[in-house]
Order: sequence, then C-alpha cells, then structure tokens
Amino acid sequence: MVNMDAYQVLTAVHIALIYAVLAVPLTLSYKTTKIINFVHINFITYGAYAAVLLYTFLGIDNVFVAIAAAFIIGGIMGVIDNVAVFEPLSRRGANVVILMIASMGLWIFYKYLMYSVLDVLSRVAKANLVSVLLRFETLPRVVVGGIPITSAFLTAAITAAALALMLYFILEKTAVGKAIRAIADNPTLAEISGIPRSRVVNVMWFMAGGMAAVGGVLWAIFAIATPEVGDTLILQVFAIAVIGGLTSLSRTALGAFIIAFAENLGMAFLNQVFGVPTSFKPFITFSTLLIVIIAFPPLGAGGGLPYRFLRKRR
Amino acid sequence: MLPSFDILGFLVSWGTFLGIYAILAISLNLEVGLTGMANFGKVAFYGIGAYLAASLSVYTVLAVYHVAAAPYTTEGIIALGKYGGASPALDLGIFAASLMLGFIIAGCVGYLLTYPTLRVGPAFLGITLLAFGELLRIFLLNYQPLGASKGLSGIPHPFLWIPDPVLRERLYVLVVLGFLAVTLWFAERITNSPFGRVLKAVRDDEVAALCMGKHVPRVKATVLFIGSGMAGVAGVLLAFYMSSVNPNMFVPAVTFNIWAMVILGGMGNNKGAVVGAAIITFVDRILTFITPNLGITIITPDYIRWMIVGILIVLVLMFMPGGLVPEKPIKTPAWEAVESLEKESKEGGSGGGEA
Repeated sequence: MVNMDAYQVLTAVHIALIYAVLAVPLTLSYKTTKIINFVHINFITYGAYAAVLLYTFLGIDNVFVAIAAAFIIGGIMGVIDNVAVFEPLSRRGANVVILMIASMGLWIFYKYLMYSVLDVLSRVAKANLVSVLLRFETLPRVVVGGIPITSAFLTAAITAAALALMLYFILEKTAVGKAIRAIADNPTLAEISGIPRSRVVNVMWFMAGGMAAVGGVLWAIFAIATPEVGDTLILQVFAIAVIGGLTSLSRTALGAFIIAFAENLGMAFLNQVFGVPTSFKPFITFSTLLIVIIAFPPLGAGGGLPYRFLRKRR
Repeated sequence: MLPSFDILGFLVSWGTFLGIYAILAISLNLEVGLTGMANFGKVAFYGIGAYLAASLSVYTVLAVYHVAAAPYTTEGIIALGKYGGASPALDLGIFAASLMLGFIIAGCVGYLLTYPTLRVGPAFLGITLLAFGELLRIFLLNYQPLGASKGLSGIPHPFLWIPDPVLRERLYVLVVLGFLAVTLWFAERITNSPFGRVLKAVRDDEVAALCMGKHVPRVKATVLFIGSGMAGVAGVLLAFYMSSVNPNMFVPAVTFNIWAMVILGGMGNNKGAVVGAAIITFVDRILTFITPNLGITIITPDYIRWMIVGILIVLVLMFMPGGLVPEKPIKTPAWEAVESLEKESKEGGSGGGEA
C-alpha cells in the first residue's frame, strides 16, 4: 500500500515535470507577444512525431537525439509562424482577438497537414503511425529506496532541469534575455531604446516552440503519440498557464505541479472514497481553473473589467 | 460526371445546414463582431441545445408509450422507431418545447459562465470557454443516461407523421430557414438599436464605454445569454434533422468552422455571417456529394478541406480584414440627418458657385 502511494506520487511528479515543460513556453510567448498561441498544440504534436518518425524511418532510439530534433523542428515552426503571420498582423495593429484567431487558423492548418503527411508516410512505411507507443530506454532504470524509477521519468527530470537552467541562464544572464524581458514589459519603449524587436521576438519564438516540442517527446515516451496528442493536452496546458497568470514563469511551473497533483492524486482520492469514475479527470482540471480565476482574477491587461482596476492584493 | 445528381435534394440538404450554421454564425457575430468577446466555446452551447432536444424527445416518447427500456439500448431504439411517428401533436409539441427550452437553458448556461469569465480579459475568456466546451464533450462521452460515446438516436422528426420522407425534408428546411429569418431579423434589430451601439462601444474600447456610464460586465453577460440561446436553438434544429446525436459531433473544430464563416463573411455584419455560412456549407455539401465518387485517395479529402479552411482564415485576416461584406456605419436618424445636411450644403455650395 505504501509502495503503491509512492508510485502514484512519482507518476504525478513525472506528469508535473512534463506539464511544466509544456506550459512554461506558452507563458513565455504570451508574456512577450500577447498572443494566445494555439499553434502551441502543434508544437507538442510535431515534437512527438519528430521522435516517432526518426524511430520509424531511421531506427534512432536515442531519446536525446529525438529531443534535439524536436527542439529544432518546434523552434523553426515558431519562427515561421511569427515571420509569416504574427508579425505582419501585429505590425498592422491587430488586437489580441485577431491574433488569437490567426493562431487558431494555423493550428487547424498544421493539424491536418500532419494528418495528410501521416496518410502518405504510413502508406510508404506500411506501418501504423496514428498511435505509436515509444519506449526508449536510453537512460537506465534505477531503484532509489526500493522505488523503481523508470527511464522515462529520469529523462523527463533531466530534460526539465536542463531546460529550466537554460531558460534561467538565457533570460537572466544574456543580452538577448534582457531584451526579451524588456519587450515583455513594454514593447514600444524597448523598440525606442534600440532593441531589434523582431529579431529578439524570433529568438523567443524559437525557444518557446522548441521547448514545447521537447515536452511532446517527453509525453510520447511516457504515454502515447497520436496526431491528437497536443489537442488532448490543451486543457491542462492552458489551465496551468492561466494559473501562472500568463506572466510569471515560476508560477506557471508551480501551476504544473498543482494541476498534475490535483488530477492524479485528487482523482485517485475521489475514486477510492466516493467512487467517481476516473474518466471525469478533466473536471478536476477545469474546476481548478475556475477556482483560480474566481479567487485570483488576473489584474492588469490580462484582467476583465472591472477587475482590471482592482488594487493589487498583499 | 455525376449521372444522377439530384439538384433539389442537394438544395434541401444545403438549405438545412445553411440555416443551422447561419444561426450559429449570426450568434457568434453578435458576440465577437459586435461585442469583441472571443467565444471559443460556441460548440458547447450548440451541443447543449442538441442534447437537450435529443434527451427531451426520446425520454418523453418512451414515457408516453410506457416503454421501460432506456433510449440508448437496442429495445429503446426499436420502440422509438415504432412509436416515433404515431402522433403529430406529440412530435410537434416536443419540437416546440425543445426549441424554447433549448434557447433558455443554453442561454442560462452562457449567462452563468460569465460569472467567472468576466474576471478575465478577452484572451482568457476564449481559453475558459474552449475548456468548457471540451469538458462538456468529455462529460457526454462518459455519461450513460445520455448514451455515453454512442449518443442518442431515434429522435422523432417533427414531421415524422408525414409518410413521404422527401416532403418531410422539404417542410423541415422551410422551418429551419424560417428560424434563420427570425434570427437575422432579431440580430439586425439588436445591431441597429441603441443597445447595439453600446456593444460596438464595448468592442472598440471597454474603458471608454465604462466611463460613458455603460455597465460593461452586464452588457457582456446579456450578449452571451442571447448568443448562447441562439446557438442552443441551432443545436435543437440539428438534433431533429440528424435524428441522432453523439459527443463527437461537438468537437472544437466545429467552433472553428463557425469562426471561419464569421471571418470570411466579415466581422460585425450579420449579413456577412450568413454569406460566410452559405459559402462554407455549400463547399461542405458539394464535398459530401463528390467524395464517395472519388474512390480511395492517398490523402483523405477531409484533411485537405480543413487545411484549406485553416489557411483561408489566416489569409483573410492578413489581406482582407473586412471580409467579403465589410461592416458599414449604422444609419441612425441623426446620422441620416447629418448626411442629408452635408448633401444639401454641397449642392447649395455648387449652386452658389454657378450663380
């Protein structure tokens, strides 16, 4: 029984790490560009499929190669979106809603592009590419204190830590990071002070897209890769980003832990005590989201009227 | 190419879908085009309407004829097929009751959802409503009394007592188009009323509208009530047309489809929403007639269709932001007076020059 609980906690931590890798870049991109980016869903799916296709066609089963490939693919997608769509639109003064719809259009386009490509590829490879179980064992399994830790968990933990370090280093210690933070605070002022805004924003999109795609790989080796993998995670990722207020990266990471624990341990509790079927898991996510919105409405530009004008608590 | 292409049959099926989707597009246009509320959960209210109609009709029919079987079992579906068309009064009564309840219940859900969502700005509102839509679908997928993943079928068509199925369809398309006309009239009345101008003020600048003494949160809640109610009515019409509902009819892509109609037609213009709905449903209907004749293709035609819609939205937003029917200023009596004065002064000025 005790061992079982430790296993559940470990799974929750594992999911929380993946959620953090998925949600932090969403917060980063919203913070910098004020775009609610639905293409984030595609970053996740394309990242997962980078690993799947590398494995199916080239036989590469090294998880870190897959992660690197996913980072590059996601990053390039992010930059292309920005250069082709978001930048021209926001230069013309499109508001938040228009940008959001444009990203939704891109989401649908990318999603069905993936389906079409998979239609062709699965004919070429004569294999099922629509739901793939990837079980890479690049890292060894270890047993700590009698609790077996899977290779996927170790990969997630190491990758999440590396990404967190990278993000901290870039945002806090480099000139680009300073520029990104300046643009997030006040884009006009940043541009006036001589920051090459579009180039810096492109760097930010590369990082955001890449991180989300890496999250996709981590999810694929933990659960399953399907063309809908991003769509199934969208509710959680957006809920987490909203808990982070879409402004604070560290609060977003905290949100990932809140949602992952509420979903897994909370669901297990409800299931055992009240017999609630586990298929109702998303309700926990949504209720957490609603509670957070009601209890801590976002202030400032993210808030609605009249909450926008409330004084900051504390 | 198609030897037996039934033009009238095509028009009837297109007309029905056009009516249903145009109602949805008009309601979304009220929320987005006029008030600036990004409703990404339109499908939820549509689904509420459809499921309300489905459950109300099947449970009522089974109760009236004292059938003990549940509607999602085989016996229940057989019983529904047997008793469905027995009484015109019952069928029409259920239809009318569903329409009214569909409007009220979907509207109330929309109104209640404004309690949490008014606390957040336009971007968060979209996410929350999107999440609500997905949540509703997951609920329906797992809730046995509403048929879980198989959904409910055997919904009695309001004209099931008419023996000729072709005539039945034709009557129904008239009903749907009638509802479209009423919705369009109502939406035009709202747009051209002082309330409509408040909505546009809220869209253009919330803070300014608030400073002019308009109760912005209440205005938004009212619009979400009306828009969701209309979506509920569209859902009821869909349920009776399809005669079955299942949770996978209400995926987020449906919301996106409605957005595509509104953007293509032009935001802030009810007629534009109808034009957008007409174009997209026309293409869809043509595709459903053509696709079976294509045989096996390398890429499923449906995927291509969605890719084109996705890229079309982006292109329209980038190169034709007004859409096909751009928004026009409202002709208020005062505006007309100003226009006629301007005209007069211009004519008077030129006349003066000649003399």
